[in-house]
Amino acid sequence: MLIRKLFRTAWRYKSQFLSMILMIAIGVGVFLGFNIEWKSIEADTTAFFEETDYADFRLYEETGFSEEDIEKIQEIDGVEAATRYLAVNAEWKDTKKSVSLNVSENYTVSTMLIMEGSEYDEGADGIWLSDRFAAENDIAVGDTLELSYMGVDISSEVLGLVKSSENMICVADENQLMPDYEKFGFAYISPEKLEEALGMVFYPQVNIISDMEKAELEETVKSALGRTILVTSKDEHIAYAGAQSEAQEGKTMGSILPVLFLAIGVLTMMTTMHRIAANEKVQIGTLKALGFRDSRILRHYTAYGLVIGLLGTALGIGLGYGIASLIVSPAGMMSTYIDIPEWKLIMPAFCIPILIAILVFLTLISSFSVKKMLKGTAADALRPYTPKAMKKSVIEKLFFWERLSFGTKWNIRDILRHKSRSAMTLIGVFGCMLLLVGGLGMKDTMAGFMTVLDEEVSNYTTKITLSESADHAEIEALAEDVSGDWQASTGISYEGETITLEIYHADNEWIRFVDAENNLMELGDDGVYLCLRLADTAEIGDTIEFSPYGSEETYRVKVAGYLRSLMTECIVMTDAYAESMEIPYHISAIYTDESSEDIENSSIIAGKQDKDMIMETYDSFMELMDLMVMIFVVGAIILGTVVLYNLGIMSYVERHRELATLKVLGFRDKHIGRLLISQNIWLTVIGVLIGLPGGVAVLYVLITSLVSEYELSLTIGVLTYSVSILLTFGVSLVVGWMVARKNKTIDMVEALKGRE
Amino acid sequence: MAIVEFKDVTRVYTSGDHVLKALDGASFTLDEGKFVVILGPSGAGKSTLLNMLGGLDSPTSGTIKVNGKDISTLSNNELADYRASTVGFVFQFYNLIPTLTVYENVALVKEISPDALDAKQMIAEVGLSDHLHNFPSELSGGEQQRISIARALAKNPRILLCDEPTGALDSETGVLVLKLLLSMAKNYGKTIVIVTHNQSIAKIADVVIRVKNGKIKSCEEQSAPMSVDEVEW
Repeated sequence: MLIRKLFRTAWRYKSQFLSMILMIAIGVGVFLGFNIEWKSIEADTTAFFEETDYADFRLYEETGFSEEDIEKIQEIDGVEAATRYLAVNAEWKDTKKSVSLNVSENYTVSTMLIMEGSEYDEGADGIWLSDRFAAENDIAVGDTLELSYMGVDISSEVLGLVKSSENMICVADENQLMPDYEKFGFAYISPEKLEEALGMVFYPQVNIISDMEKAELEETVKSALGRTILVTSKDEHIAYAGAQSEAQEGKTMGSILPVLFLAIGVLTMMTTMHRIAANEKVQIGTLKALGFRDSRILRHYTAYGLVIGLLGTALGIGLGYGIASLIVSPAGMMSTYIDIPEWKLIMPAFCIPILIAILVFLTLISSFSVKKMLKGTAADALRPYTPKAMKKSVIEKLFFWERLSFGTKWNIRDILRHKSRSAMTLIGVFGCMLLLVGGLGMKDTMAGFMTVLDEEVSNYTTKITLSESADHAEIEALAEDVSGDWQASTGISYEGETITLEIYHADNEWIRFVDAENNLMELGDDGVYLCLRLADTAEIGDTIEFSPYGSEETYRVKVAGYLRSLMTECIVMTDAYAESMEIPYHISAIYTDESSEDIENSSIIAGKQDKDMIMETYDSFMELMDLMVMIFVVGAIILGTVVLYNLGIMSYVERHRELATLKVLGFRDKHIGRLLISQNIWLTVIGVLIGLPGGVAVLYVLITSLVSEYELSLTIGVLTYSVSILLTFGVSLVVGWMVARKNKTIDMVEALKGRE
Repeated sequence: MAIVEFKDVTRVYTSGDHVLKALDGASFTLDEGKFVVILGPSGAGKSTLLNMLGGLDSPTSGTIKVNGKDISTLSNNELADYRASTVGFVFQFYNLIPTLTVYENVALVKEISPDALDAKQMIAEVGLSDHLHNFPSELSGGEQQRISIARALAKNPRILLCDEPTGALDSETGVLVLKLLLSMAKNYGKTIVIVTHNQSIAKIADVVIRVKNGKIKSCEEQSAPMSVDEVEW
């Protein structure tokens, strides 16, 4: 019989039950979604790294490593495998497209995964091409691809379509934010093919698999080869660092949002179960009076909590996998950034005990709510639940209190009397606001970043990438010819970290610089500028030390200021200052206003990129942003609606009698409706006021977690504020109206018939 | 002059197949300024009658005229205005707003009743000036009912409607409240209608309407009603 009652009671409170289940499902879903996301990215990329012998370290030397060098490196204790390697950007002839051309001499490190076509053969005359580049450009196995590197033709048949962890995040250089497989891909050729095409052996890179520490490897390589070599660990390589930072972002998101959603889910459960138990008190008392034992009654009502918890959690697990698969799947958001063969969703192990704990907690909540009602004798239990007696609050002692209308007083007292209900409403509004400001602000911030990049910093039309072997005089002649600015980038060691030293000659302002406030600034010739990420390492006027890789020299320079470096973590100086400090450099890129067609190809040019094409690669990134923002907005609206509706209904049920009395006295429905809605509005105003800074704070945390990749400046447009506020109020008003509408149906006669 | 006129009023409640005739062809008239008691056992239809007179419910058929105006066909808002201006209610369970103080509960009606009387004066008249700023839960049942009377009269209505006003009180308090109710109704010249199953109250009424099974059994004027003090409670 009790089981039947269980179902009937559940049906009676269906909207409350539904909202509890929904809130728990959303809480669990968001919690699992983000945690599955980062765990899967980490696990899936790690699996791919292992499968394709991803290198732990990369050694660079512009003049190339000799056969003797690589033998010595391979003999080092602790080096598991090493290969000479080449990765250069080669043009696809007669197109504006290019590929990263890879050669792994020993093919023991940085190998590839054949998706289609023939296996790797180190003697073959052919190309193994990125399968995604091939798909975007309609290239099939058997087609011929004509590449050109520094004026040298490398044409061959496509033997296979592949994926490679070395090129897992396939971007041309650090200026490209997102891969664009239509324009840029990667290809492998055999060492023999390389030698045949170039007419010589040239490997400026060595890839190593080793468990050693970076410093230790640096030392041993130095003693083995007798010179300092630029060593970078995988943390500094785009594929590993990119995947790691995605996982890190997921972790950050996974630690902020789920806490909010779970807290809301649990709090919803607490308040709602308490109300239901209070409403059921007479029934609980009746069962007790009939002779049911407390434990039996407790079990009966606790079952609600358990069932709600189980249903909510089950739905939430589904939702979590759903959210994660939006991101981590072959067609998901992450696939536009990372190219891996297998997208498996993996739940971190710690999630299971947390889910169990949530379930236990939810069950306990309902158990405690009922236990309170069972206290004392059967006669006590039979008496209806009476809320706490009214007491005067501090506010009433304030001078303006007496001047408030009765409706205002009524609402203020009601808010204070039902503190947990009011707090929940606040949290619902706060959460809604936080998600809106956070989501829309993220978009503003990224859009601001793009604007600075596009309109302020990148003032050029074409970027010419120069070959490593190009002669300084030739480069200067070319720069002169295209009236270009130029840039030299070198790896340096500063404060124990590998960062970039960027030397600019920017008289034509094709490349420009911005300060922390995104205002254009000019570089002076009397010191270096630190990017904002390095800002706390030195004050302006301090002298800092750094040493370029491949050199024994240590340079001491003066800090002249800070600038916002959008992408690279770097120290910037002008060529004039570099010359005055006698710092040698090799120009790596020229920026010019001439269009790429007007620049004649030559052996010193490794590649040409239109700015527009570079900027286009951000489009897909912005599309991702839009999708994220949509998820945030929809999430905010669902959250706000469910929480507010649930509480609105509870508040309505609790005040049923009072509303009926007002009605009997002669208050019109509209008047009562206004009273109900105005309470909603006040709570919304407060929720919005604390939600705004909350959203900004969350955004700030998210942006700082991204800081190692980009230097974002927190930007929130007026539109974001107004849309967030309007939407939040919209949700609150619509829900308030839905609840207020109910007062029309109050049966005055019924409601006044004594106390239930 | 007749202030209330019930003409063949019927109220039928249907829930599913079950049809209940709560009131069946009730007709009577009441004169202004009279003290009327509607008497009958529980379930007789007396509360239904009162609710319809109070504009809480509308008849299934028949007409109810109050002060010459037909209230049986009014819209929801018109009914609300009627309740605000013409009738005052006193309930068995007081129905005060728990989150408003004594003063606020009475002053509340100023927002809706056009001719509302001063709240403080009304509270003084029911003898609770010391409790202006207490909440209802801090008062005894009798005190709460006195506030409820003050609230009903503060609207300055034509008719005072009371549904078992002493039903939740002990008999001693009940008599005090009843005395207060009657003397105040008299001072302000109000028509007062009390619904009860208490025979003793009928002895002091000007008019007694007996209701049974939804029908008016009798409607008699008492030429010499007893005073409250003469009745044995």
